[in-house]
Order: sequence, then structure tokens, then C-alpha cells
Amino acid sequence: MADKWRLIYNPEGDAADILAYPSALVEGRLAGKYLLSREKIPDTVVVQGVNKKGILAGADVRVDKQSAKDHDIDVASYPRSGRGGAKQTDTVSLKELMIKSSSKFSAEEVDLSDTALLLYTSGTTGSPKGVMLTHENFLGEFELVEVIFPLYPEDRIVGVLPLYHVYAMANVLTPAVYFGCTLSLIPQYSPTELLKNMAEVQATVLIAIPSMYIHLLQISKSRKTSIPKSLRSCISGGAPLPLTTIREFEEVFQTQLSEGYGLTETTSAVCLNTTGEGYRPGSIGKPPLQIEIKIFDENDVELGPNETGEIVIKGAMISKGYYNNPEETAEAMKNGWFHTGDMGYKDEEGYIFITDRKKDIIIRGGFNISPREVEEVLFTHPKVHDAAVIGVPDKSGRETVKAFIVLEESETADPKEIVEFCREHLSPYKLPKFVEFRESLPKSATGKVLKKELRDGYKDERLLEKNGK
Amino acid sequence: MIERKSLGETIEDRAKIYKKKAALVFEGKTITFAQLNESVNKLANGLLGLGVKKGDRVAIMLPNIPEFVYSFYALQKLGAVAVPFNTMYKGREVIHILNDSGAKAIIALTNFAPLLNEIKPDVPTLEHIILTGERTLVFVHPESTVSLQMVHQKGFFSDSDTAYRRIGEVILKALACFGVKDAWYKHRGSVRVGGKKIATCVISEVEGLEVVNVLCFLGPLVTDDFFKVIWVPPEVKDKVLEPITSVEEVTGKRPGKEEFKACVLSAFSEKLGVEIEEGPLKRDELFAYEKQRALAKKT
Repeated sequence: MADKWRLIYNPEGDAADILAYPSALVEGRLAGKYLLSREKIPDTVVVQGVNKKGILAGADVRVDKQSAKDHDIDVASYPRSGRGGAKQTDTVSLKELMIKSSSKFSAEEVDLSDTALLLYTSGTTGSPKGVMLTHENFLGEFELVEVIFPLYPEDRIVGVLPLYHVYAMANVLTPAVYFGCTLSLIPQYSPTELLKNMAEVQATVLIAIPSMYIHLLQISKSRKTSIPKSLRSCISGGAPLPLTTIREFEEVFQTQLSEGYGLTETTSAVCLNTTGEGYRPGSIGKPPLQIEIKIFDENDVELGPNETGEIVIKGAMISKGYYNNPEETAEAMKNGWFHTGDMGYKDEEGYIFITDRKKDIIIRGGFNISPREVEEVLFTHPKVHDAAVIGVPDKSGRETVKAFIVLEESETADPKEIVEFCREHLSPYKLPKFVEFRESLPKSATGKVLKKELRDGYKDERLLEKNGK
Repeated sequence: MIERKSLGETIEDRAKIYKKKAALVFEGKTITFAQLNESVNKLANGLLGLGVKKGDRVAIMLPNIPEFVYSFYALQKLGAVAVPFNTMYKGREVIHILNDSGAKAIIALTNFAPLLNEIKPDVPTLEHIILTGERTLVFVHPESTVSLQMVHQKGFFSDSDTAYRRIGEVILKALACFGVKDAWYKHRGSVRVGGKKIATCVISEVEGLEVVNVLCFLGPLVTDDFFKVIWVPPEVKDKVLEPITSVEEVTGKRPGKEEFKACVLSAFSEKLGVEIEEGPLKRDELFAYEKQRALAKKT
């Protein structure tokens, strides 16, 4: 005969109730057990609704109290649980794992060509592949950092880029430890949080992505924020940053801002376009001595100056390949050169310029169209905040240009106006045939537009299927 | 000159050179190189105890918190392979990476546990889910959500798989009572309709008790206001939440809370053979209830 259960029904409670009832039931049972109050408390079911909007937040979640008040949202925080607090079934607590263990451990000996890190590439094309990065690759990258972007133990670096990305892994975390710098970790990016952190730690180095530099400039203008003047050097990477922004940022923050170029397969940065004497607008810079960069045609024959082909790289920081994927590895590493999939050229002085991604090319009636070229025209439209261009099939199945546009706040526009604007700057076959307005564009962690997600029939990877995968 | 040393040896070395110099700064606190190395060692020993060896792959699903750094370097010291990935990945993306890498364990934030629990059967090599941080985040709304919680003796269900499965059955039964016919329950966690979540479930344990937390979506949940309180970059806003649906979106009608209560009660008696009577909190519980509410509102 099963015991009778109890029901607690609280249809008009608040967020705090949803936290309080189950813990009260647990504590009540424990009190009965330990304090011998002898009150026998039955197994209990609680059904609760709330009378206004609410957020139940873990102790580490940052909540804007004022905004919560303004929007009439109840906030209830879970108290920080010590050891022995409630733990999800069949999981291990990292805290407990550490408390119980000895603080002495000698690093295992490894071969420097062993894989240290497996990073899955952001997947702008195809399904993500695991890029193997070895200890040697990191050493190769440190060698490069030492020359093109030296770091010193006095440096305080801001760790705002997500550490799971190669850019942060190879240009922030591991070099900070290697060169003995102090790394300030920011778990949740917001422009104000970043600025505050920079001021607090008197940051000397910032390594970030274009949107962060743009945000920082915006808030430095709109508010009476004190601008930290401690930054000695900054890098932007992941996507291009307009020259005007670079100049303005350097002036406002009294620093130097260089643009980096690199991929997961190259253990992040291989090239830096540094402002100053050697700066070339639109270039990724000149390859440093530690690496070789060439431009190949489709038969892997080297091209001359100003001829556009695929950018290929050789050097100590090049990955040994994709995990469990010899075919893709062989293709990417053909003839001993890593094929980046980026198209570009070298000028007479050896400066490298990227023109496009190989696979992004749209082919319309035999003509190659560079989505980037169309995007750059769209960017110059005063109403356009952000834009991305992809190839889509038209009614007859021929590839044609489609533009996705995010308008500036409170602007409106119709597709015709956009196409007419493009007509002034582009050959007719390059004009967008379709224009779609969006509130935002899907982007990777480093701000790259995820064009795959813009395509028709794109399957949301977050959905779980009942049958099969 | 760059020294030809592994990443694991490097951190050991730096701890010797820089000792009390700050290696990390996090939320106003400083972690020195010596302290960092000690934490790395503790975690390396802990992972070793779980059977993580040289060459094993271990996934990391963490934001920029010190535990990320501990995990990465502990794995380097073990000669293992770190597999960190985007914390916004969901469902099949995570399954693909864990399977492709053959990860033996994953170190993740507590709030990813429901997702990991759910996909565990699809990732046969995954032996351990190691959790850290307190970043759980739940939105509740008067017209959209209703919560169902249970506190009971741990032995009520024979094991946690059974607990998840049978509670899943109760939710399915209650949903069927509102006319949601094609809901299905995927191993541990969510009840879905057409791939979207309609109810979520988390089971925890403490001192011989099991605590179940279910959130059920009765009407569409508009999240705009919530995101004004918790800041996330605009382009990733839609990735923070997994796609959800609700009874109203599926059936065209939103049940009231009384109706929900009635359906849950009948589902309990039918599926679990449990009889339930409404009753108040008792003395020891009332005291704890007031204390918990004060704590929840304080921070």
C-alpha cells in the first residue's frame, strides 16, 4: 500500500516561490530527520503558476536589476550551493572532484607532435570537422607572436573572446600563460562590461572582433564614460574592420589597432596588418619570416603578383589535419601546402589581399560573382546596417544573387530602392535578384555571417528529431 | 627563444617562475600562477580518478570562467586532448562533435545538463558528465508557463533512468488530456512536439531525496522582455533559447492552471498509482520556506 502524497497548489505565486517550495520541502524533511521534530513529511507534488513575469537565475547569472524593475519582472536567484547541495542525478561535480584531490601532479611526458586540442571549425560550409592542433603548432604560434605581437609579463590582457574559439585559444589564453601575462576573464560579453573590465584591470592588450571595437567606440561617444588609456596594443580579427573605425579607435583609446588573419587550421593568426608605415588598407599584411604564403591556381601552380588565386600556407603552426578524416585532410594539405579556401592576391611588395572565399563564389551564366563585392556596395547604402549575399537558384534553377539586409534602426526601404542603388555600382548580372530584410544575420562566435543558415531549407541544428539524427 | 616544451609542462614552469604574480583575474578576484597550477593539478588528479588517460578526448562546454582554464591545462598535463566547443551549440551539433571526437567525458556548465542528459544515449562513448558553475536560467510567465515539482524519497523510482522515463510518461499523459497528441519523450529531459520543447524536466538529488522540476509551456512564451534584463548579443539571441512550442500553439487552446492541476493529478494516479490530497506546508517547512524566499530575493 503506497503512502498518500500531498499536493501543494499555488497558482498565483511568484518566481521566488518556484525556488522556495521544493527547497522548503527538502529542508523540512531534513529538519524532521536531524532535529527529531518527529514531524513526518509526506512525498509532495507542487503545481505552481506565477502572477507576473519572472526569471529564475543561477547564482552566476548577471541580471540587470534596474531593467528588471522597469519591465516588471521578478528575479529570484538560486543561493550559491556549497558542497553537498542538490546535484543532478548521474553527474559529477567539478568542485567535488577538485576538493578531494591532491594538489600535486607532474605533467605527463608527451610527444610535441601529439594532438593537444581538437577544434571543430565554425562550419560555414558542410558539417564541422575536428582540426587537430599539436603542442608544436602552439609553439609555432608563440614564435610568431613573439615577433609580430610581442607580449610581456607586465601585460594585462582582456579575455573577452570565447575561449572555445581558436582565436582566443591561440592568441589569448595560451600565449598569456606562456609569456607570463595576467589574463582578465569576461564570461558574458556586453560593451559596458568590457569597458568596465578594461578600466578595472588597466588592460594593456585587447584582442577582439570588429563588432566589439565598433561597440566600444559607440559607448565611448554616447556616455560620459572614462576611457581607459592603458591599452598599448590591440588586434581585431574574424572579419574586416573599416579603416575609419581603426583610425578613430586608435585616437579615442590612444592605442595601436592591428588586423590579424588566421584560421583554425593555422592555429589562429599568421599575418598582421599593423597600422603605421607598413600599413596597406584592405590587406592582411606581409607574411612574417616564420611562414610561407603563396597564391595558387586550381592546379596548384604558383601565380604571379596581382593574379588572384587560392591562398596557401606552410609553417610550423599548420595543423596536421582533420581528426579521423584522411580524405579531407589530403585535399586541404595537397602538395604539402594548406589550402585556405580564401581567394586573394599578392601585390609586388608581397602584401596579401583577400578577395573572397572560394566556396562562396556565385556563378551566373558562366560569370563568377563575388558575394563580397556585392556586399561592399550594399554597405555603402546609408540605410543598410548589415548585409550578406548568397547564391540561390531562380525559377529555372540557374544560380542568382540574393541579398539579406539589416536596415539601420527605424529605417524602412523597399527592395527596388536597394537594387536601383546597386545598379549604379555593379554590372547588371551582379545585381541582387532577391532582397530580403531581416532583423539580424546569423553569425558565428567571431562575427562571421553563417551563410549556410541563410539558405532555403536550412535545417535548424538545434532541433532534435524523434527518429534518427 | 621559444622553449620546446608541451603546454602541460609550460604551466608548471610558469608557476615556478611567476609564483605569486596574477595569472587570472575573474570577478574582482586574482588567481596567482601558483594557485592556478594547484587547481590544475587537483583537477588533473580528479580526472585521472575518473579514468581519463593520455590520448583520451574530453569535451569542454564552458564560458570564460577559471574552470575553463583549469580544465584545459589539466587535460594538457594528463596528455589528453581538449575538445572545447561553442556553448551555444544545441542538439545535433553537440551529438556530432561528441561522437566524431569520441569524447570520454564532458566538462560543462550546470545549465547544459538537461541537454547533455537528453543526448547521452546518442553518444555511446561518453562516460562522465562533469558539471560546474551556477548559471541555470529559467523564464516563467503568467500566461505561458506552469511548473510541476516533486520532492520524494529517492527509492520511489528504481534508478534515475526510470525516474526520468516515468515522469516523462506523466507529462505526456497530462498533455494528452489537453489534446496534445503527438508529443514524445526523448531520454531524460524534454518532452517535444515536432522537435520543439513543450516541457522540460530536471531531476536532482540531495540527502536521499529526489527533487523534480518540470516546466510546461501552456501558451507561447514571448522572451523579448527577459532579454532586456539579461544581456546577450542580438545576433545570438535566438540561439540562447532552444526552439519551444506550447499547448496553445499545438491545439489552438490554452488550458488554465486548474485544468493543468486536474490533468496532472489524474496522470499521477494512472501512471504512478499515487493518490494525492491537497494540504498545507507543515511547521518545519514553513520556516524553511520563508528563509528560502528571503535568500532568493536577496541577491
